Formats: sequence, structure tokens, C-alpha cells
Amino acid sequence: MNGRSARVDNGGMPARVLSVAGRAVVARRSWTGLAYLLLTVPLDVAAAIMLLVGGLLSTVLLITPLGPWLLALLLRAAAALGGARRGLAGRLLDERVPAPPRSMRPGGLLGWRRAALTDPAAWRALAYALAKLPVGLVSLVLGGGCYLYGLTLLTYIPLQEHSPEPWEIVVCLVGGVLLLLVAPWMLRSVLALDRMLIRGLLGPSSAVRRMTDLREVRDRAVVDADATLRRIERDLHDGAQAQLIGVGMHLTMIEELVAAQAPPERVRAAVDTAQGALTAAVTDLRDLIRGIHPPILDRGLSAALATAAARSTVPVTISADLPWRPSPAVESIVYFSACELLTNVGRHSGASNATVDIAICDDVLVLRVCDDGRGGAHPRTGGGLAGLIERARIVDGRLAVESPPAGPTTVTVEIPCPAAGRETG
Amino acid sequence: MHVVIAEDSAILREGLAQLLTMRGHDVRATVADAPALLEAVTQHRPDVAIIDIRLPPGHTDEGLRAAIQLRRDTPGVGVLIFSQYVETAFVAELLAGGSEGVGYLLKERIVGLDDFDDALHRVAAGGTALDPEVVTQLFGVSRHRDHLAELTARERQVLALMAQGRSNAAIAARLRVTERAVEKHVTNIFLKFDLPPSDVDHRRVIAVLRYLQS
Repeated sequence: MNGRSARVDNGGMPARVLSVAGRAVVARRSWTGLAYLLLTVPLDVAAAIMLLVGGLLSTVLLITPLGPWLLALLLRAAAALGGARRGLAGRLLDERVPAPPRSMRPGGLLGWRRAALTDPAAWRALAYALAKLPVGLVSLVLGGGCYLYGLTLLTYIPLQEHSPEPWEIVVCLVGGVLLLLVAPWMLRSVLALDRMLIRGLLGPSSAVRRMTDLREVRDRAVVDADATLRRIERDLHDGAQAQLIGVGMHLTMIEELVAAQAPPERVRAAVDTAQGALTAAVTDLRDLIRGIHPPILDRGLSAALATAAARSTVPVTISADLPWRPSPAVESIVYFSACELLTNVGRHSGASNATVDIAICDDVLVLRVCDDGRGGAHPRTGGGLAGLIERARIVDGRLAVESPPAGPTTVTVEIPCPAAGRETG
Repeated sequence: MHVVIAEDSAILREGLAQLLTMRGHDVRATVADAPALLEAVTQHRPDVAIIDIRLPPGHTDEGLRAAIQLRRDTPGVGVLIFSQYVETAFVAELLAGGSEGVGYLLKERIVGLDDFDDALHRVAAGGTALDPEVVTQLFGVSRHRDHLAELTARERQVLALMAQGRSNAAIAARLRVTERAVEKHVTNIFLKFDLPPSDVDHRRVIAVLRYLQS
């Protein structure tokens, strides 16, 4: 209702604020947030009581053999509750937190107990349950309170038996509307606190996240290396090796022709074919070698990039500011990224000019490839840009594409690149 | 001799066809993939089909699959695998149905055209032609290496040539000894391997290969 009345009068700043606020009141996520708050408070109270009582009991019982079992049970329960809360937060708050990895579970009851007692995720879930109780109560009072007082004020006048004073009507109406308008913002603020708790205590810890990330990158790198080897094998098999066999074949043919005293033009044709095959084989090998490790890269990135630019179909301006030489692996990744980006520029952008800037600032190597083409470039799964992003991730780098429709396009690759000797483990 | 060639590299396909034509063979068809090969063999019934292992679309072992199918479906057609590499697993699969009219040669053997031609004739006649490299690998993976070690150097040479599918006369010519001497070596080898002696060329190839693979 507030939303509609505000939208009718849509001139001026206050009206716009009212409109935004009004829409927030009726927005879906305000209601799901409220539902989350109301649903979790009883859960919080029950969980906290159970965990507190259970915790105290098991601490007391720790002198007996029963204590550790009770504590293990408690931790498992806390972890299970944590999972339920993650689900609830995902559905109602849209706060999707990945589950922490399960700890290794050796066989046997004792193994189960040890796993439960040493599972850091369970301890963190326990901490969440304890921290959530005060946070949940304060959230309910502040967030739910706004709604409750707002509605109470609005319904106060009609329910009065005596006829109210005019100022009473004004105060109640204005106060009620204001409280209801403020309520969604209050709700969001108090829920933000809970979101922080969920992210910090119910998800994987930052070390685990980093580990997952590294594992992903490593898997990708292994797959990548395997694919590269297969491609090289295929190129050699279908290219240089086949052509060299072709050369041998035509030499044999020449031998046969000479032995049979064939006309010279037939011999010459066979010689021509053999020479062609040999040239093709050598060219194939050279291309392959350049694809593995371009010899010019030994002279440094700027020299190698200058050569790459010379091969580009679009005119390229290069500027390089490298106070020290990056590691060979970083040089290689940056070089091949630049080559692929320049190939993309030549193939897809329709640009008439491109620039390649490469610099190291604050121990980060920044490669920037810009073109004045038609833009609209974005990483597609399995595409060249996605491959470059993966390659940068291997060395903790990242790649950003800025390519509005109609251009220009800027692709930035950033890779950590400390000076040799200053590297920290 | 009637020949069908399956090879996806154009330069090798055409070069091989020219060379074989110059040697007086009748190249009935040249194809670039396995389905076309099966069709061409059905249509032309060649004496030998020369087949590359890697063929489109998968570029893995399509040629070998087609060769095995041809050996099953068209027994009169000799099958000569013509490849850039040797894999003992491929050799074993190829020889699983016997060693009559089958060959496996590395592509570079084309440089010795007489030898290649000889192998082609052996396969066409129902014999065997295995690349020296194939035999070396079979020796290498054989579980009878201790028996192989018992052979004299000369006997090993004879065994290798025999496993390639060559006749006593060919072995004698290659080693520059008399056929009589070769026969003696062969008898010794069969004795040392505890195999029943066999005179027929292709039978003894089977015996030797079975022995090496067992």
C-alpha cells in the first residue's frame, strides 16, 4: 500500500526514497528474511540449551569414560544442525555457503569418536550455535520489533474505544508507517550479522577454501598438461613424421625412376614433391617448437612479444616496463597469453590497432592487451579466454575482460611476480 | 597383384600408390578412412589391403579394427598394417586370429622397396610379414627371456628373421649362409624352445609367435 501511494507521486527526491523504501517492504526477500528470523529463533534457543546442557554434562563426565562419547555425539549433532542451518540460509537468505569437507572417517566406533572429536568443522558449528543465540535474540528484537511496533501503531487507533485526539492519529499513523518502512532495512542489517557468522563458522575455513581452490587448479593443470602432450604427439605424428616418411617414399621413387631410365621430367616431379615434403616437415617442426618454447623467449619477454607482434595481422604497439625478469614459468604463461590474445584480436575484433602493455608494479606483473575493435568479447566455457583464465590461476594470477559492445576491448592479466630472492614461501 | 590402400595422409597415400604401380601392382582403390576401406575391399577383393592404423574420424585405432574385421569377414584378403609406430598390444590383437596373410610394417620400410615388395608378396600368398621392430618388441615383452638368452647370437638372428615371416631361403640369403645351415639353426631353436619341429613356413611362424606371446 505504501509502495503504491509513493509511486503515484513520483516527483522529487523524498518521493523516490519513499518509493524505494515501499518496494523494499513488499519485496520477496524482506518476507523470506522475516520468515528466516522467526523460524531460526526457536531453533537457536533449543540448540543452544541442548548444546550448553550437553556440553556442561560431558565436561563434568570427562573424568569418566562416558564424557568423550557424549561430547562426540554433541559435536556430530552440532555439525548436523549446522548443515540444516546452511540449507535454511541458502533457501531463505540466498546465502549459499559450501559445506566444509567431511573429515576422514576411519572404521570402528573409536575411529568414529576420534573423527567426531577432531573435526574442526564440528567445533566451528558448535561455536556458531553458541554465538548465534545472542545474535538471534537481538536480531529478533530489532528486526521483528520494527514490524511489530509498526503494525501495532497502525492498528492502535481503530481499536480504541474513545475517539482519539487528532494529534494521536497523526503520531500513530506517521510513526507506524515510518517504522514499517524502516523495518526491511533493519531486518537486512541484523541478518547481515548472521550471514557473517554463517560464512565464517558454517562454511569451509579459509585454509580449506584455499586448499579446494588449489586442488581444482592442480587438477586443471594436470589435464592441461596431458592435453598439451597429446596435441604435440598428434602434431608430430600427422605432421613432421608423416612428411619425412613421404620424403623417403619419394627418394625411393626417384631411385626406381632412375633405374627404369624414366624421362627426366618425371624424376624432377618426384624430386619436387620430396623437397616440398621436406620443407613442410621442417616448417611443422619449427611451428611446433615455437608452440612449446619459443627460442626468442630466452632473450626476455619484451623481445619475444616484439616478435609475436610482428606476426600479428593487426598493427601492434608494445610497451614493456620490467625492472626484473619474471620466472621462466611466468614468462611463458604471459607470452602465450599475449599471443593468444593477439590472435583473438586478429581473428574476431576487426580492430585496426592494438596495444600490448606489460609492467610490474607492487610485485604483480600486469599484461594489458587493448584493441579498438568491435568489443563484446567474454569468456565462454571451453573457449580460449576461459583457458587463459585457468592458465593464469595456475600461478595465482587472474584475468579480467572489459569489452563493451562496440568496443574497445581490454584484457588484463595479473600474475604475482616477486623479484628473485625476495620470494616468500 | 591387386591392392587397396587406406591411408589418411594424402602425400603417403598417393606416393605409395605411385610406387606400387611402378612395381607393376594394380592399385584398385585408395581411401582415407575405415568405412571406405571396407567398401573398397568388398567391391575389389584385392590380394592385399594396406591399412594405416590411425584413420579418421577418431584417429586412434580405426584401421586396426577394420583390419581385424577384414580378416574375419574376407579370409582371402591379405592385411598389411602400415603404421608409424609399433604397439605389441596391437600386434597381439592382429595375430589373435592366426598369422596367415597378415603383416605389420613401419611406414619407413617403404624406403627399402625390394623388402617391402617381398613382404607384400608374402602377405598376399598367405604368409606373414612382421616388422623387425615388432619382433624386437615381442622378444622384449616375452616371458621366455631366459630361453631366449640360451640361444646363440646366430640363432637369435635366425629366430628374428623367422618371426618376421621369412622363408629359409630368404634367411640364408640375408645372413649369407647356406639354406642347410639355416635349417640346422631352426631345428636347434625349436629344440631349445621345446616345440615340435615344423617345416611349413607359416606354421612355424605361428609356433614361434605363440611361444613368444605365451
